[in-house]
Amino acid sequence: MGRHVIGKVSELPPGSNKILALKNRSIGVFNVNGEFYALRNTCPHQGAPLCKGDVRGTTLPSKPGEYIYGQEGEIVRCPWHGWEFNIKDGRSIFDPNKCLVKTYEVEIEQEPSAVETFPVKIEFNNIVVYV
Amino acid sequence: MTTESSNAIIDCDVHVYPKNPNEIRSYLAQPWKERFNGEGRGLFTNPVHGSRRDAIPPGGGPAGSDSEFLRKQLIDQYEIAHAILLPRAFCNLHPDPDFATAIAAAYNDWLADTWLGKYNEDGVFKGSITIAHQDPTAAAREIERWGDHPHFVQVMTDSGARAPFGQRQYYPIYEACERYGLPFAMHPGTDGMGINIQPSPGYPTHYIEWHTCLSLGFQAHLVSFISEGVFERFPNLKIVLTEGGVSWLPALMWRLDQEYKGLRYEVPWLKKKPSEYLRDHVRITSQPLERPDNDKHLLQTLEMMDAEHILMFSSDYPHWDFDSPKMAFPKLSESLRKRIFYENAKEFYKL
Repeated sequence: MGRHVIGKVSELPPGSNKILALKNRSIGVFNVNGEFYALRNTCPHQGAPLCKGDVRGTTLPSKPGEYIYGQEGEIVRCPWHGWEFNIKDGRSIFDPNKCLVKTYEVEIEQEPSAVETFPVKIEFNNIVVYV
Repeated sequence: MTTESSNAIIDCDVHVYPKNPNEIRSYLAQPWKERFNGEGRGLFTNPVHGSRRDAIPPGGGPAGSDSEFLRKQLIDQYEIAHAILLPRAFCNLHPDPDFATAIAAAYNDWLADTWLGKYNEDGVFKGSITIAHQDPTAAAREIERWGDHPHFVQVMTDSGARAPFGQRQYYPIYEACERYGLPFAMHPGTDGMGINIQPSPGYPTHYIEWHTCLSLGFQAHLVSFISEGVFERFPNLKIVLTEGGVSWLPALMWRLDQEYKGLRYEVPWLKKKPSEYLRDHVRITSQPLERPDNDKHLLQTLEMMDAEHILMFSSDYPHWDFDSPKMAFPKLSESLRKRIFYENAKEFYKL
């Protein structure tokens, strides 16, 4: 598994994402409310660039005629056919067990060159994706 | 074109749009010029998104309005030999037939000057003549106006209508289609909007219901075409069912053939079983292709519906339910793939 430093925490604020080519794969890295996640940028349906879709919430399971909006910022919606995926685990909303997109491990690592005597602010830490 | 590779594709449903309403308005005379506002169809807009989000041209404007970007994202990426263009004028919902006819004519002038003209040096784009079926005589005149144009290859209208398309009030349209050798294509658009009937018992609540039930209108139109004897009256008329669904066709034809055994008495002008008119007169485009969990079920359906001869690939670019030429179908035999993706349309449109 390759270790890829893709930037600083400060470069990817909550609600944002970036798409990178890592090991010949297109991968989207997302900051969801301060937590980082990475997904394959290929929709399992017809191969659309999934991570270019809108990041949003969704209508949660409810009774007929009732709307409960939630998971704000946790859902990416495919830019072609609108299929929704949970950014945190890559699972589709409509069939989480059978339709999912590959996820990759993301870690935040302290900048190794940081001078030890100063407190290191998290926003200067590196975002590392393992592919 | 003679240099196409064996992977060449003809895409039978591609939507192009003016950059803004003024492009169309410039072809309208008063009083229509000031009345036209480029409005869409009004009801049942997609609650998610109407077009592929990545189809918005980088230089701005609506999806499907930039020929360079469309060429890059569709024509070049998928080796499209020809794209059949279907503008969306939505003129068929207007109560005023003169206004509707004027809008149709303006769209045709615009398409001829742009996508079939200055954007089309290599002839990759083939167009559809927009007509307003509210006034079939005027529609026939509009067909005559473009009948000899080298890049218009079919006549097109919304499936939304006030009556099934087999009925006699539409015959001036079919007479003109036959005279110029132009197929008559119907495409979803204004079902249940403006003056047009919604082909379900009343209005469904949701877009998902309306969009799924678009097939109902297509089924009613097809049964009407066959039962009214349109293909006996106009033996060279051909029709295209564009974006109306695919997999319903075998079951509907079984039903109609079965009815015919007892009810032929009512429609004595039919000279053969209803389903036997399909290969000579009817083509159906593939998108949005239904995909059951088991690919074998779809492959069986393709065999049952004579897809080898009547199914033509379409992507519906740039709309939200775009079918990728590479991903929309399960694995097909090479001969069937060529028929569906290229040969059926090449023969049908004489490309």
